Amino acid sequence: MDLRFTETQEILKKMARDFLSTECPKTLVRKLEQSEEGYSPELWKKMAELGWMGLIIPEEYGGMGYTFQDLIVLLEEIGRNILPGPLIATITGTFPILQAGTEEQKKALLPKIAQGELILTTALLEAEGVFDASGITAKATPKGNDFVINGTKLFVEMAHVANYILCVARTTAGASPEKGVTVFIVDSKTPGISHEVMPTTAADKLCEVRFKDVSVPKKNILGKLDEGWPIVEMMLRKGAIAKCAESIGAVETCVEMTVAYSKERVQYERPIGSFQALQHKFADMWTAMETSRYLVYEVAWMESEGLPCAKEASMAKAYVNEVYKDVAKWAVRLHGAIATSADHDIPFYYRRSKAADIAFGNTDFHREIVAQKIGLV
Amino acid sequence: MDLALTDEQKVRKQEFYDTCKELEKKRPPNFLGFETIYEDDKCWEYNLHCAREFAKKGWLALGWPPEYGGKGDMMDRVLFAEARGYHGVPGVDIFGVQMLAPTLLQAASEEIKREFLPPIARGEAMWCELWSEPNAGSDLASLSTTAIRKGDEYIINGQKTWNTGAHKGDWGFGVFKTDPSARKHHNMTFILLDMKTPGITIRPIPYLDGHAPYCEVYFDDVHVPAKNIVGQEHEGWAVVNLLAGFERSGINEIMTMIRGLEDLVEFCNQTKRHGQPLAKNPLVRNRLAELACQLEAARALAYRVADLQNRNEMSLMDASAGKIFFSELGERFAFVATDILGPYGQVKTSRWAPMNGVWERMFHEHFITTVSMGTNEIQRNIIAWYGLGLPRIR
Repeated sequence: MDLRFTETQEILKKMARDFLSTECPKTLVRKLEQSEEGYSPELWKKMAELGWMGLIIPEEYGGMGYTFQDLIVLLEEIGRNILPGPLIATITGTFPILQAGTEEQKKALLPKIAQGELILTTALLEAEGVFDASGITAKATPKGNDFVINGTKLFVEMAHVANYILCVARTTAGASPEKGVTVFIVDSKTPGISHEVMPTTAADKLCEVRFKDVSVPKKNILGKLDEGWPIVEMMLRKGAIAKCAESIGAVETCVEMTVAYSKERVQYERPIGSFQALQHKFADMWTAMETSRYLVYEVAWMESEGLPCAKEASMAKAYVNEVYKDVAKWAVRLHGAIATSADHDIPFYYRRSKAADIAFGNTDFHREIVAQKIGLV
Repeated sequence: MDLALTDEQKVRKQEFYDTCKELEKKRPPNFLGFETIYEDDKCWEYNLHCAREFAKKGWLALGWPPEYGGKGDMMDRVLFAEARGYHGVPGVDIFGVQMLAPTLLQAASEEIKREFLPPIARGEAMWCELWSEPNAGSDLASLSTTAIRKGDEYIINGQKTWNTGAHKGDWGFGVFKTDPSARKHHNMTFILLDMKTPGITIRPIPYLDGHAPYCEVYFDDVHVPAKNIVGQEHEGWAVVNLLAGFERSGINEIMTMIRGLEDLVEFCNQTKRHGQPLAKNPLVRNRLAELACQLEAARALAYRVADLQNRNEMSLMDASAGKIFFSELGERFAFVATDILGPYGQVKTSRWAPMNGVWERMFHEHFITTVSMGTNEIQRNIIAWYGLGLPRIR
């Protein structure tokens, strides 16, 4: 047992921190939130040069061949700094291609993803807004060499700039909601696709995507027909762990910024950080951060080693969701009025804590998985 | 990051678990957590039996240097603590084996080590701690019980309190004011004493649930050999701080809770309410799942602390954070469990009590971990002052 980062991970961490603090200051974050695209193509290109989109793609497909655990280190830095854009959506879309893609699909997509030439996203949720298979009603019906997709997807991250959309659709009415679901790789330029950015808490460009008689070639099925739900589950699990890593980075920044402010801000002739009312809250925030951190590292290690970790991944997501929201809330509170201003940086984290909570399943969703996995009938 | 155990560690872990599983089968029915060993003669006998079994295997000296009969390393101590916690088995004297022995190894003279370590390793000498006083709790350094040097003896006068199991202890360790004129933190000495020494009076203190695991100890001209000290004379505070750093991962307590959760899940699966298993109640599912998540977080942090300790890189902040977290998780757990049991949550060990009344007991006992070994408020100060570098008002 050795919970320290490897040398490679330490280098990755330092490189990411330096890069993001120089290339993605909060002035840019603010600008991107207000922009239509929600990301910077120049920054995207620079990240591609660093190999970030291809970090977990094997070298034979033009990637860096790093492990899932290494990815966690990068995502923690991204969460610390905040990086608007489709990086996590693209990486999350890469997981199923790596696991279930045909050789032809991998060769066609992975090198381009690694080069930063393709943006991916996943269209999962629909009107009900649930993360289980019962929410999938978008229909894909066979027609010649194609499937024709009809339906409306919601909360699709960065769909307005994506080149490919992994669309989760119902292909047959199966014996259970999990049966008869198929994942399609859909070219976003296909006729019949339209999208609209939804106004959201984190201004993170979640989209409504409408599919009207959208023809997708059968060869674009990811994995097997009607057996797509396990792929979705895998994507949700890895995505949840990835989101946790991003969240602990954000939590760390909230603690650091608030502690630093409390050492400078003077009231009653002394720094407010000298008052125990604040000190004990900081201790609680730090404790929450540290428990989250090692829980996420544990799960990331299990995922990286290929150990079954559905229970632990849900435990981590359910736990970190609550920690991030709580710490970010206290970061605002302990700064006082100043951090309720839109000009302050702390609100970026507070708003994102809600988005992070929802992404890949909120707390109650994951607690129900945990309830099953600990053996409740 | 690598959480894997080595093949040798896996083998030893299995042996720890197998042995504890066997010992669990011999546990008296009224054993409900380690405090009960101090309250009930059968439980005390069982504690001694477990201690002898562990001593035979050399497990009371895990992580000690070989010249004092030690074997294994810090990680073995953690794995052993895990197995004992999960199976709810006593036998490792928290005062002698867990606190004092590593302190002696680092700070005591060769003579003291040779005299006091072997009986601890053999599971023969049981210890108690003599720290708090009526007016020196969190502010331990303001203690007033004196040990005045006279020739080759100290003569102790005063009172200690909250001494867990002092009535069962063969030996006690504590800090006493040896130089009343010196400044705070440099006026006390860490002394080892035989609890049978004339002049010592021990009185049990009834705990809020009526049990009595704690005592108060009175000293009236108690003569102790001057050689029985650890560290330098008048510099006992340094020894106190050293001792406080040992065995802080909390893995034992956490594994006990993990087992408690398993038992509670089984109870919810087997117990019908409103015509269906209690386990089907969405509120019960959500609350137990929440605890399960927090337990896993507690366990992950405990491994972090253990990993650091194993490399002698103790992080005061992580140890304090872990202590705050697992002890307050114990509070929440006791509240949730006694809620789920409904009216049965108030029943003490009896034919009416589910799970032998363990949760009714936990409703009271959780204070032991939040208040002892530095209250959680003191732990928060440690994180704020020494960890985050926040200014301290004096």
